[in-house]
Amino acid sequence: MHLIAQDLVNGILAGGILAVVALGFSLVWGIMNIINLAHGAFIMLGAYTTYQLFTSFHVDPFLSLPVSFVLLFALGYLIQRFIMNWVARAPVLTTFLLTFGLSLLIVNIALNVWTGDTRGVTTAYSGANFTLGDVTVPWAKLFTLLAALAITGVMQLWLTRSRTGRAIRATSMDIGAAQLSGVRVTEIYAIVFGLGAGLAGVAGTLISLSYALNPSMGDLFLVKAFVVCVLGGLGSVPGALVGGLVYGIVEAFATQIDVTVGGQHISGSGLQDAIALVVLLIVLIVRPTGIMGKATA
Amino acid sequence: MKLRLTAALGAFALCVSLAAPSAPVSASDDTIVFGSPVSLTGNLTKEGHLTQEGYDLWKNYVNAHGGIKVGGKTYKVEIKYYDDESKNDTSAQLAERLIDQDHVNFLLGPYGSGTSFTVAQIAERKKIPMVEGNGAAEKIFNQGFKYTFGVLSPAKRYLEGILDMARSEKPPAQTVAITAASDAFSQEVAAGAAAYATAHGMKVVYSNKYPDTATDVSSIISALKQTNPDVILNAGHLQDALLVQKGLKEQNVQAKAYGYSVGPDTPDFANSLGKDANDVFGGAQWSDAVKYHGSPGFYRSAREYAKAIDSTYHHRADYHNAESSAACLAFQYAIERAGSLDPAKVRDALAKLDVTTFYGILKFDSRGLNVYKPMVVNQIQNGRLTTVWPQFTADGKPKYPTPPWGQR
Repeated sequence: MHLIAQDLVNGILAGGILAVVALGFSLVWGIMNIINLAHGAFIMLGAYTTYQLFTSFHVDPFLSLPVSFVLLFALGYLIQRFIMNWVARAPVLTTFLLTFGLSLLIVNIALNVWTGDTRGVTTAYSGANFTLGDVTVPWAKLFTLLAALAITGVMQLWLTRSRTGRAIRATSMDIGAAQLSGVRVTEIYAIVFGLGAGLAGVAGTLISLSYALNPSMGDLFLVKAFVVCVLGGLGSVPGALVGGLVYGIVEAFATQIDVTVGGQHISGSGLQDAIALVVLLIVLIVRPTGIMGKATA
Repeated sequence: MKLRLTAALGAFALCVSLAAPSAPVSASDDTIVFGSPVSLTGNLTKEGHLTQEGYDLWKNYVNAHGGIKVGGKTYKVEIKYYDDESKNDTSAQLAERLIDQDHVNFLLGPYGSGTSFTVAQIAERKKIPMVEGNGAAEKIFNQGFKYTFGVLSPAKRYLEGILDMARSEKPPAQTVAITAASDAFSQEVAAGAAAYATAHGMKVVYSNKYPDTATDVSSIISALKQTNPDVILNAGHLQDALLVQKGLKEQNVQAKAYGYSVGPDTPDFANSLGKDANDVFGGAQWSDAVKYHGSPGFYRSAREYAKAIDSTYHHRADYHNAESSAACLAFQYAIERAGSLDPAKVRDALAKLDVTTFYGILKFDSRGLNVYKPMVVNQIQNGRLTTVWPQFTADGKPKYPTPPWGQR
């Protein structure tokens, strides 16, 4: 019983990070129809921003959140404006190749700057925890979850209430009509891509508290972002949150599966990824647009 | 003036006539050429460079001290490298090129079990001996290959020393929990540790694996915590070792000893974790504290070797350096004993080799694996790696049991 409660907590805490990991990826994919393979590289840059501020200037990782966001937003904005824009509305393969190339470039620059050494952000409060009944909750991960919830909430409000947010949604619904209504689509695209990168940066900062850094770390998270955003529904902010939480909880419980079939010992833990993908498959059969996705975005 | 010129010409002619009839080997007549495809780029860049340093340090020593004596003639040594980009297939292609186009005499191994395995197949087909110091998976040695030799202790032995150490304490540790990554090497390490613990009267209370792509292992740690083990072992790699160690603290899991197959030996472990890395044990192939008295022909003690690495490459000697130099040493002694550069004769000499070096004993079983050298156990004590086991070679006492989190 206690293990079930602990796993639920573990799953929710891990899921909160995954939600932010997927959020930017989902927005760019849902609104611009670009599967951004450089998303993992952006996450890595966010993590290194935090690492650099932490080691050089002793800035607390949570305080470096806005810095990661602004730096990565600027990078994403410029990349869209001066590189991606050349292939705007090109077939998906073109943007695939371009973002893949960007990813390679960024990762190799990072290898030159920070070398391939593994690094960690270990704060004074890292590992500190409290117990609630039988359940242990690490403080840093709890605050990470709260930050993830807050970011998701702000994003949702901004997209639905602000003028730019509405222009973004209008562009994603009908690009022609949006242009006719005076929306500058190139500008909107640059903002969305910047937002995607900025959110990746934020995710990187949050990840750096629990996961060690190296220049190729982004790839693992890119795969998870992919699953989470399809699971939750493309381009949907609440979808990314729900998808992340579901993914986190499924993984946590998969760990405890331990069965012996015909003398063959099967550990659910080694099959975490496979089990998560089976859940994705089931969701897609039942709800092809994802848990929170709408038939028309 | 004229006389001097004649003398010079005479000396030159003498040299030519002496050099001419020697064995018709590769590159040049007085050089033994080794070839190695090694990871100079890609995800194993760091380890690849440490490997290359180990090879080069040996080459420079041998050349500075005259060379290798082969049946009355002395040869200089040269090593030809190609970058295998940390890819198994590329490594094999480059090994083929080294043999067919560059006509190298012998192969020195690449970095890693995956690459060593593919290159071993080439060595076998071409009948060119390879000694490798960076692939510990037994899979490489269970194929019946005759031309591949490994100076490493096999994977299954990585955590044995930590278990021996914990068993020797008072009261002896009785229960073990093991977590492992799902890759072949880590699974060999975990299975070896579990079998060894059971065979020595310890109880394995928890054992589980996670995908090598895991980014969160907290649920494994929750389950492990319930079994309340004396010793917690992890068979994995640096990244997941860090994840596990952080996770253990987050959930306040208190054991008497924490041991890792890979992680604590690289400075990155302590640099990333700070104080939370203290008192952790790690299995290692070698440390600069081991007290072997090596045979002549190279640096004869670990201390001398470590000093040479430090003055040449300006960092603390790493076991990747040492095992790579040891692979070269195996060739050096085998070639001297064979008295020939003939690949088959050198292979036979390698199979019969039994020599002690700064690195430990170099001796191979019928599969070509060095099962005679014990692993050492290091412990991070106040941020510094200290060798604590086996006792005859230790430079410090193990700190056991481990104090609670927050007091390390």
